[in-house]
Amino acid sequence: MATILAQRKHWIISMTVVCLVLGGLLGVQVHTQQARGLTEVGRQTGALISRLTEAEAQLDKQQEEIERLRGLLAEYEQEAASEKGLVRLMTEELGNARIALGLIPVRGPGIVLELADSTMMAGGEFGGQDVYVIHDFDLVQIANELWAAGAEAISINGQRLVSGSAITCSARLIKVNDVTISGPFTLKAIGNKKNLMSALNIRDGALDRLRVLQFQVKLMPEDEIVVPPISVGSRYEYAQPFQKEEKQ
Amino acid sequence: MIALPLSALIVGFLAVYLCLPAVPPRWADYVAIAILAGLDALVGALRNWLERRFDEAIFVSGFFANMVLAALLAYFGDKLGVDLYLAVVVALGIRIFNNLGRTRALFVTARVEARRARTAAAQ
Repeated sequence: MATILAQRKHWIISMTVVCLVLGGLLGVQVHTQQARGLTEVGRQTGALISRLTEAEAQLDKQQEEIERLRGLLAEYEQEAASEKGLVRLMTEELGNARIALGLIPVRGPGIVLELADSTMMAGGEFGGQDVYVIHDFDLVQIANELWAAGAEAISINGQRLVSGSAITCSARLIKVNDVTISGPFTLKAIGNKKNLMSALNIRDGALDRLRVLQFQVKLMPEDEIVVPPISVGSRYEYAQPFQKEEKQ
Repeated sequence: MIALPLSALIVGFLAVYLCLPAVPPRWADYVAIAILAGLDALVGALRNWLERRFDEAIFVSGFFANMVLAALLAYFGDKLGVDLYLAVVVALGIRIFNNLGRTRALFVTARVEARRARTAAAQ
């Protein structure tokens, strides 16, 4: 009887020690989870969500800043336009520069090109699906043809092409001016309608190749189209004006 | 008899919860695993006790060793880029459920047998 009792006591002591440890661990965990719940949602999602909202807030702020600066510029310009002579000339020059930089929307005659992936997508005879979707280089080629034919302003899905515009591809998404766009694509170009049309329709040109693979291509001349301004202007961090004076 | 371990559980919880700071979040998963292993040892002990093959040395050593081993396994899994964490959670979870089910069955059987013995004695 005594041995059983002694065994029992022993058992309770070890159980007590174990429970003390387990209770302590529970305390740590509950404490940690409470602290963690404030900063993180899951093992990873929380951090990503907060980074996304942060980036979005920053974007909003920067777009506001752009609006503000453009307003300021318009104000300066108005003031300048009211004066005569040289200032007037400079204002005109500034207007041209702003068209070139894509800072203002422009309108005029031109062409509208609508492009969508091939209808042969499913069960095509060549390789994978890659052949039947529009790639960044297709858009680059078309834009180049348009510039070469004298286009004065081009936009792809509302993204204005300017001197520093890049059309790139990352992870199967096409980016123009660092903005992701997706098909169907609408290209607008202002310029001589006839020249632009024939530049795109040239035999063995960009559109010819796409039409053979049954891409949905629709090219229309228009008397009046509007090309939007660039959404985020370029900043010049490294380049500075340089005058070659001594060698003249 | 059960009061002492139970109060130890509460005392341990409160002492750590109120007095110690939270551990870094990346440790939280390992602590969780350790708790799961400890719970598994406790439930296993309950079952063994009902089956009358409870051994104190096995219980105590199993409690601490399993806790450390489970956390270590999860840690090395993370180091190797394999989600061993999940494997440990699943394995321990299944064991805990099994042992709880077995414990319930043993309780019910004990009750039924006691009643049968009582009616037999009455007759």
